[in-house]
Amino acid sequence: MSKARLRIAGAAVYDPANAVGADGAVRDVCIEDGRIVAELPRDAPKLDARGMVVMPGGVDIHSHIAGSSVNHGRRLLPEERAADPAPAPPLADPDATPRSGTGGTIPTTFTTGYRYAGLGYTTAMEAAVAPLAARHAHAELDDTPIIDAGLFALLGNDDYLLRQIAAGEASRARDYAAWVLSAAGAYAIKIVNPGGVERWKAGGRNVTGLDDVVGTGAVTPRRILETLADAANALDLPHPVHIHCNNLGQAGNAATTLETMRALAGRRAHFTHLQFHSYGGERGKSWKSAAKQVIEHVNAHPEVSADVGQVMFGPATTLTADAPVEYLLHASSGKRWVNVDIELETGCGIVPYSYREKAAVAALQWAIGLELFLLAQDPWRVVLSTDHPNGGSFLSYPELIRLLMDRGYRDERLKQVNQQLIAGSALADGLAREYTLSEIAIVTRAGPARLLGLKSKGHLGVGADADVTIYASDADRAKMFATPRHVIKGGVLVVEEGQLRRAPTGRRLRVQPGYDRAVTRDLKRWFDGYACVSFENYPAVELGA
Amino acid sequence: MTRTTVEHATCLGCGCACDDIAVVVDGDRIAEARNSCALGRAWFGDGSVPRETRSGRKTVAPDVALADATKLLARAARPLVYLAPDISCETQRAAVAIADRLGALLDSPTGEIAAGILAAQRRGRAAATLGEIRQRADLVVFWAVDPADRYPRYASRYAVDPPGLQAPDGRKSRRVVAVDVGPSRGAADADARVAIAPEDEIDALAFMRAVVLGRAIGDGTVARVATGLATQMMRARYVALVHDAEPSPHGPLLHPDRAEALIALAQSLNGPARCALSSLRAGGNRSGADAVATWQTGFPFAVDFAPGYPCYRPHAGVAGLLAQGEIDIALLVGSPAGVPQAVATALGQVTTIAIGPRVSAAPFRPTVAIDTGVAGIHEGGTAFRMDDVALPLRPALSGPSVAADVVRALAVRLTRGRS
Repeated sequence: MSKARLRIAGAAVYDPANAVGADGAVRDVCIEDGRIVAELPRDAPKLDARGMVVMPGGVDIHSHIAGSSVNHGRRLLPEERAADPAPAPPLADPDATPRSGTGGTIPTTFTTGYRYAGLGYTTAMEAAVAPLAARHAHAELDDTPIIDAGLFALLGNDDYLLRQIAAGEASRARDYAAWVLSAAGAYAIKIVNPGGVERWKAGGRNVTGLDDVVGTGAVTPRRILETLADAANALDLPHPVHIHCNNLGQAGNAATTLETMRALAGRRAHFTHLQFHSYGGERGKSWKSAAKQVIEHVNAHPEVSADVGQVMFGPATTLTADAPVEYLLHASSGKRWVNVDIELETGCGIVPYSYREKAAVAALQWAIGLELFLLAQDPWRVVLSTDHPNGGSFLSYPELIRLLMDRGYRDERLKQVNQQLIAGSALADGLAREYTLSEIAIVTRAGPARLLGLKSKGHLGVGADADVTIYASDADRAKMFATPRHVIKGGVLVVEEGQLRRAPTGRRLRVQPGYDRAVTRDLKRWFDGYACVSFENYPAVELGA
Repeated sequence: MTRTTVEHATCLGCGCACDDIAVVVDGDRIAEARNSCALGRAWFGDGSVPRETRSGRKTVAPDVALADATKLLARAARPLVYLAPDISCETQRAAVAIADRLGALLDSPTGEIAAGILAAQRRGRAAATLGEIRQRADLVVFWAVDPADRYPRYASRYAVDPPGLQAPDGRKSRRVVAVDVGPSRGAADADARVAIAPEDEIDALAFMRAVVLGRAIGDGTVARVATGLATQMMRARYVALVHDAEPSPHGPLLHPDRAEALIALAQSLNGPARCALSSLRAGGNRSGADAVATWQTGFPFAVDFAPGYPCYRPHAGVAGLLAQGEIDIALLVGSPAGVPQAVATALGQVTTIAIGPRVSAAPFRPTVAIDTGVAGIHEGGTAFRMDDVALPLRPALSGPSVAADVVRALAVRLTRGRS
């Protein structure tokens, strides 16, 4: 089937970004040369989608799919790979080279692209790449077909930045951030446990709060957050700073999360995998949900957005630049552990994990994620993620959608989980809300696209990328969302009648903000003094003149 | 002829992948590789490589060689694709695609160090990129390795000499301990030396870990030595524990359990101190082969595509399979000089197609041989440092065929042949 023209005829269309009339109205969606167009001639090829549901292609705002730490994770768990073989799909084009692979919680690159497309997702963001490792991440994304992808550059524990903050050089910090984004071929700034990873590498354990001193007296997590949030906003980046707060996974960490939100009041900021940062109780003593307090703050502050980072029962791989957290997880679980300190920039920690519904803390985490979803007032600002593969695989999104849409099913599941820590929580008290299809379309595509500033993604208006997912309607929403009938990526029918048939190359999404060239002279001196890679060899992509 | 210089070239003479080499070219020869060590100078040489394309014993056009290779591979019953050194990640990616298409067995020289890879899969790793060791380490323990032998600039670029953020005076900011295990000596430039008999090595490492975990019971010589070492390490802020992950020149003495014991010790030291185990790897982008195989198949080496998807066969041993006659055709991509002796000998027993630097001169006499340039000398692309940091390659010379192009062209022919 050619890329040129296609009329998707007669489906119920959910396009909340272009809400003209009610969502779910039956109309045609027309595609020409990879874009949505207003109309096509009558003789244009037609896809009969009567009785089906059409949405824009899914957009994953936060996932770990490519690069150095992801590859360490793959290598660490050969038995997980072996248990989930993925033969090459039978592609329609005889000159195409379909590739086999393996899955598990961290599939191989080709399998990742195929599985995302098979799920109706056409865009994904690799959420944590050390700039030093960006070349590696791009090489993996080159081997990840179909999806358009971008990567977030890890900043906030990098020594050059901390020096600028210590010296009060906010504008130089901004220029540096712009240079790093360009050099790494990245899309957004990611902050992970600001200051905490640096302290771990320096021989301390971690920071515990926003005003702990990191290195010199002037540098604190608070200053790091402020500096980078201001830089992202001053650079007018399409996506604001993407923040993984301090104290991830600790009982009582909701206080830190709220303090971080207050510290950045008035600034655009995205808080990622909020579930892992919404715990009440007291460290080492007790656990409880603090989802309500956290989400109420989000509800009241339109400059704040979040993705949930839902925990799903089953196997996961915890994998993060927040290396001190993984040390604690290894020490408490005794499981295999990878730690890699990354020169001058960040860290990497990996521990395999399994969330068991009979385990008290896992059940609480699961409940907290659902509370965040169900108590969020604005689906455009609180979107869906599992922090793949940390809270669970992206393949569990359909199950999560069912939990959100089907109260009866959710309440049944709730009865099966360990009740010890969830008694008295909002979820246990009964949350009646059921997401509508329109809201699902927001939290899985329209919302993430808007938060990312991807103007041609997440909607079906004229001129949008022709990334379209067509579902056969099914009362079992997990089944419906797990097996789209057709998926179109950039105008190409990649999934046809439920089968992956084409695997075009995806595009890379990146920003190239401007910066004062003086920063490169100072960076060159810094590299000559401390780095182990030549300044000239550091950029992963060609820098413009 | 004029002399030109390519700055910031990356040397793949060993796994250090020093990327500060200035390659001076005079005409079509390398006149000098500035900043490089003796090993690097030997690796660059004068840049001359043979430019043959052969099939059977005859010199043929590249198209003929590719057509012959396609025919041979298309009728292979049990093919092997072998990723030898001195090719870029781009070439490795294309070669793994061929293995996938053929349902072949895929391996690389990493098969020689299977024990170390498997240990890291059982336990994980406590590691750091080389630059972080430079920034942080205040105690460097060279465990049965003197990097001067096979990794000559390790000491001057990473640890121990250069100043780092937490080692402002470089060498003077660090304490260096050499552990001699039989004939495998630690670094010559050490502040202290400890000798351990080869038969006591694993016990000593286990005892050291027990000391770190506060569970040590026993005395005797091994216990005394281990306690002394472990205590020093626990008192440090950041320990770099350095060992050679490659087969030892003292081969039979390399204990298969050493890597696992070192990993376990390094991990345990992250309670009382910080510790990174630095595993030294040889050059030619060997680490890149592991990375590419992992992201495309899920496994770093010894991948069998025969079932139609990647399966891990870490204990199969490619030399043995060749020798037993299980493999009927081998596609070798890369430099024959970097192929382990047992594998090279066994390749002489089967039909081999070889694409890579100097394959026309390979001792195992490939049936089809297409000489290419050397990645990093004649070909650009990406290569991995021993610590998995990806670096760009800056070729100084134009070579014969480009390996990535040849392998991709072969892949296209194999695809068309099937459809």
